[in-house]
Amino acid sequence: MNTRQVAKGDRAFFAISTAAAIFTMLLVLVVLIFLSVKSWSTFTEQGISFVTGSTWDNTTETGTFQIGPMIVGTIVVSILGLIIAVPASIAVAFFIEFVAPPRLARIATSLVDLLAALPSVVVGIWGIFVLSPVAATWSLSLSNTLSFIPIFRNEFSNAEGAPFIAAWTIAVMIIPIITSVSREVMGRVDKDLISAAIALGSTSFSTMRRIIVPNAKSGILGGILLGLGRALGETVAIFFVLNLVFEINLFQILEPKGGNVASLIIAKFGEATPAELNALMAAGVVLFILTLIVNMIATSIVQRAERRMAS
Amino acid sequence: MSESKLQLLDRPSDATPWSKRSPNFSLIIGLASIFPILLFLVVLNISELSGAGALLTVFLPLQLLAAAIAAIVTRGRRGVADSQLSVFVYFATFFVVIMLGSILVSIASWGLKAVSPHFIYQNNVYITPTTSLDYGGAGHALVGSLLVVGLATLIAVPLGLSVAVYLTETRGRLKGPVRFLAQSMSGLPSIVAGLFVYAVFIATGTANLSGWLGSLALALLMLPTVVRMAEEVLKLVPGDLRSAALALGAPQRRAFFQVIMPTAKAGLITAVLLGVARVVGETAPLILTTRLMSETSFNPFSGDLATLPTFIFSNLTAGFDTGRSRAWAAAFLLLAVVGLIFGATRALTSQKAK
Repeated sequence: MNTRQVAKGDRAFFAISTAAAIFTMLLVLVVLIFLSVKSWSTFTEQGISFVTGSTWDNTTETGTFQIGPMIVGTIVVSILGLIIAVPASIAVAFFIEFVAPPRLARIATSLVDLLAALPSVVVGIWGIFVLSPVAATWSLSLSNTLSFIPIFRNEFSNAEGAPFIAAWTIAVMIIPIITSVSREVMGRVDKDLISAAIALGSTSFSTMRRIIVPNAKSGILGGILLGLGRALGETVAIFFVLNLVFEINLFQILEPKGGNVASLIIAKFGEATPAELNALMAAGVVLFILTLIVNMIATSIVQRAERRMAS
Repeated sequence: MSESKLQLLDRPSDATPWSKRSPNFSLIIGLASIFPILLFLVVLNISELSGAGALLTVFLPLQLLAAAIAAIVTRGRRGVADSQLSVFVYFATFFVVIMLGSILVSIASWGLKAVSPHFIYQNNVYITPTTSLDYGGAGHALVGSLLVVGLATLIAVPLGLSVAVYLTETRGRLKGPVRFLAQSMSGLPSIVAGLFVYAVFIATGTANLSGWLGSLALALLMLPTVVRMAEEVLKLVPGDLRSAALALGAPQRRAFFQVIMPTAKAGLITAVLLGVARVVGETAPLILTTRLMSETSFNPFSGDLATLPTFIFSNLTAGFDTGRSRAWAAAFLLLAVVGLIFGATRALTSQKAK
């Protein structure tokens, strides 16, 4: 084999990998452009009220398609989910990394990683039959005892299908994700720093506050944003536990009136008229842009943290 | 200059730095842990509060208070924050374990009730949602899932590996953006992947609903995981091995295929398996791109195809008790598949560690 053949083969090898890399890079753009083109008619016909209005009517020829409540609902459920999931995940990560004996920690780590890959349809089936009835009793006792606080008011007799319950479902899905990332960055905090702090008489709380959290902060934040990205795009689990209503519901988290872009797509897809189908694709575009922004911020935070850890 | 005398401090009589805690200490901690639980159980029995409600409104504040008192008694003021942190950490961990454990337990208990040998190999022909569980199964869905996911793997793995090669073995100038966009794609909502495939192939009339379209959508979701894991594994291969292969005159592609890839084999397989685990339960894209049927089909390239997630979905939405039981049983199968994949990755990584 002479050098020319070698060079030729290697060039092909590199050409293939470069092509694959560029293809992958363009994939995001291709998805975005294709969906936008397909749904362009919706954006031009509905205008800005597509994202601000709250009517969904497919009976007329062009139809009125507005997903305002769905966008609001998606954000409300995701943020509520984060409020539940973030403290819990950080506590569990701290437990696994610093409290649990090594053997238990190993088992817990595998279990958390397994649960991070729990299919959403499995969480969904658990969500309707196991979680919803239980969370409904929590919701009712909240609305009975704390109804003087506006967000805990519930004018309806039932509590299932409320954003509150969807938020618990989402929390269960993203706790393993946030835990897994937080545990990893906490584990990478310099052990000497921790030992030094303890040797100087620091309590475990002040070690946590002064050493672990500042050092692992950006990694944990990245993990939280990854969880948020997952929460925003979650479809099937929410479809089962949330009641979709075309009415903007920002604060009434205990009332069975919710919205979710991804679930809307699944719910309406089966019997959609052609114009409605375009509107659903437009909803997909909105969802994609929302998650893409969150994920890009998350990725850049995590990558910067990794670079800093490495150096 | 007056002579300053250093005086030895009196050694406290009970100073025993080598023994971890005095009996008194243990007693106080024990009391502080038992008292809130007892009171919690009492409240649970006499009041109308639900278990979780009582846990949050009675047990947690009491436990925090008790821990704070115990901390002041044993370690002074500085111990308070510490005690609160540990109570919170234990409580939150306990709560999360209950929540996540409840998923596994309910899938196992409901699933095992409905699952049977024939559920694994029979298909669903002539079965309606109300037919008794003695007939029919999800075998066709299992086959379909394996086909769809297998095809997705065939698409995503070579592509993902090539991208990982680009990121680790070449000196390409686009590494940063490629890594960044591939990572950002890992948050692509699964439904958007499904919509994309639908918009490209079905809405344009190029193809009908069929298995391979589902595979395309799943490949899109799998790609970022494979790229990331494969890149990390390839980065771990020692640079010396690479240099040695090149110094012996191997062309780079040979160095990769004959030296680097075999070295990283276990890790690369793990990367693939994690990618598979990520997509095997994806439901939304398959609802948009495939059509469920009750017969067994081995052809993912045309016609309808059943998959486990869509089987679960349709049985749930049909809303009959036997349909629900079928859904639980199929969820159990799905979870078993995911568990098997994870077991395999664990075995591989522990092998590598030895």
